[in-house]
Amino acid sequence: MISLTQISKSFGRHQVLNNIDLTVTKGEVVVILGPSGSGKTTLLRCVNYLEKPSDGEISIGDFKVNCKHARKKEIHQLRQKTAMVFQQYNLFRHKTALENVMEGLLIVKKLPKEEARKRSIALLEKVGLGSKLDAYPSQLSGGQQQRVGIARALALEPEVILFDEPTSALDPELVGEVLAVIRKIAKEGITMIVVTHEMGFARDVANHVVFMDGGVIVEEGTPTEVFNHPREERTKQFLKRITPELNYSI
Amino acid sequence: MGAPFDISYVFTFLPKLLGTLGTTLLIVGCSLLAGIIVGFLVALPRLYKVPVLKTCSEIYISFFRGTPILIQLFLFYYGLPEILKLIQVDMTRTPVLVFVILTYGLHTGAYMSEMIRAAVQAVDKGQVEAAYATGMTGVQAFTRIVLPQALGIAIPVFSNLVIALLKDTSLAFTLGVMEMTGKAQTLGSLTQHFIETYIALALIYLVISFAIEKLLLLAERRLLRHEKRSTAEIRSFKIHKNWSYRRIIAELGPGKGGAGL
Ligand SMILES: Nc1ncnc2c1ncn2[C@@H]1O[C@H](COP(=O)(O)OP(=O)(O)OP(=O)(O)O)[C@@H](O)[C@H]1O
Ligand SMILES: [Mg+2]
Repeated sequence: MISLTQISKSFGRHQVLNNIDLTVTKGEVVVILGPSGSGKTTLLRCVNYLEKPSDGEISIGDFKVNCKHARKKEIHQLRQKTAMVFQQYNLFRHKTALENVMEGLLIVKKLPKEEARKRSIALLEKVGLGSKLDAYPSQLSGGQQQRVGIARALALEPEVILFDEPTSALDPELVGEVLAVIRKIAKEGITMIVVTHEMGFARDVANHVVFMDGGVIVEEGTPTEVFNHPREERTKQFLKRITPELNYSI
Repeated sequence: MGAPFDISYVFTFLPKLLGTLGTTLLIVGCSLLAGIIVGFLVALPRLYKVPVLKTCSEIYISFFRGTPILIQLFLFYYGLPEILKLIQVDMTRTPVLVFVILTYGLHTGAYMSEMIRAAVQAVDKGQVEAAYATGMTGVQAFTRIVLPQALGIAIPVFSNLVIALLKDTSLAFTLGVMEMTGKAQTLGSLTQHFIETYIALALIYLVISFAIEKLLLLAERRLLRHEKRSTAEIRSFKIHKNWSYRRIIAELGPGKGGAGL
């Protein structure tokens, strides 16, 4: 189980996250929704300390970090328990697809080369890239790169995978292939926190939907609760704007 | 001035000048090595924004970039022993070559540090974040992800720096070092065939510069091979890609010219 307790974050005097509490149970898919600038990316980046939270506590299983006094070693451990899939893929450009996936296994997990290779090939096959093992990122389409990114995250066998708008940099015709892969791994019971604007995907795949605005969690619940029976006015307005074809009544 | 022009002297001078090529290359090699090490040490505080050291680095760079190399040579050769005398270190027996390499090493180091800084900053920050998110340490992220890519990006500038250094070593003769230019001076005075010696000298510098450039271009291609598209597109894409990298560097790079007297 992962829990964030009273997470706050300010950039200078601008408070971006305000006492966020969030609990994610094992195997759950949490989707975070919210307007631009509401702090979704910042929250996700706080979970693996790419952004240093100003305050609060992060716990994964029985591992706890007090954000204010986190030591280098704790940050390092925290990062080993999480993995991230980035909006801009962020693949290592000088490494092939296979090497991208192997890198963490070799360097962080210290697996022997043969084993790392075997596992990485299996993962790339799983995301449908068994024929692109030796391609460099510059030779892959955006959708293919993002699938490598997902395989790279899976390889680490993290407690949770953090997705920050994994499909929003993609051409529309490539979104489907990436969402299909995420769906597939969601079914396998991998815990994920996903920031996305893909409402259809959120509805089908999420177990838990969180709506954020202005640095706070405005509303959370099951997809049915949040999408079909939103309680808060801000949630209703947001959903109306983003999916105008659906009519939200009270 | 001098004896009438006779092209055959060019050919007699060539092997004589090549006899001192070793000294020139020794200066270039040692200065480069020193320059790379110093360059790294000076670039790091600027990359990681270490308060006081960063300012020291900047002053160091301004000095070596802002003053002529000839003055730097004189300052080190004549000034350093005077300063060291104050703390009871005697340098009267130190070979001139040591001063020459010290000066060129520090001079190149200033430009190298700018090259390193620009190249490291040109590697997309997202990849560093991905490395951290994967659980790598800062050192691992730097050596495994940033450095290999920065090397490829830095090579065009590095190539210019090596060639500039090679040409700059021709000033070492002013301190009496018998490298190629010093030798050419002597041959010229001896035979009065100045033009021919300088033609021979120019030819040698030209060939070495050309070889360095080609060699480093090969290295660049190899280091940036990941930026190629699929085989069918290789030709046009490669040229295009190299161009864009070269342009980045032209914008970021220190733009070292050559020896300026
Ligand atoms: N490094 C930073 N320095 C200063 N302010 C920042 C920084 N990163 C984010 N912010 C600010 O924090 C707020 C939240 O940003 P964040 O990127 O988390 O929003 P978001 O919900 O992910 O938005 P989007 O949907 O556009 O991605 C914004 O007002 C942004 O300007
Ligand atoms: Mg965002």
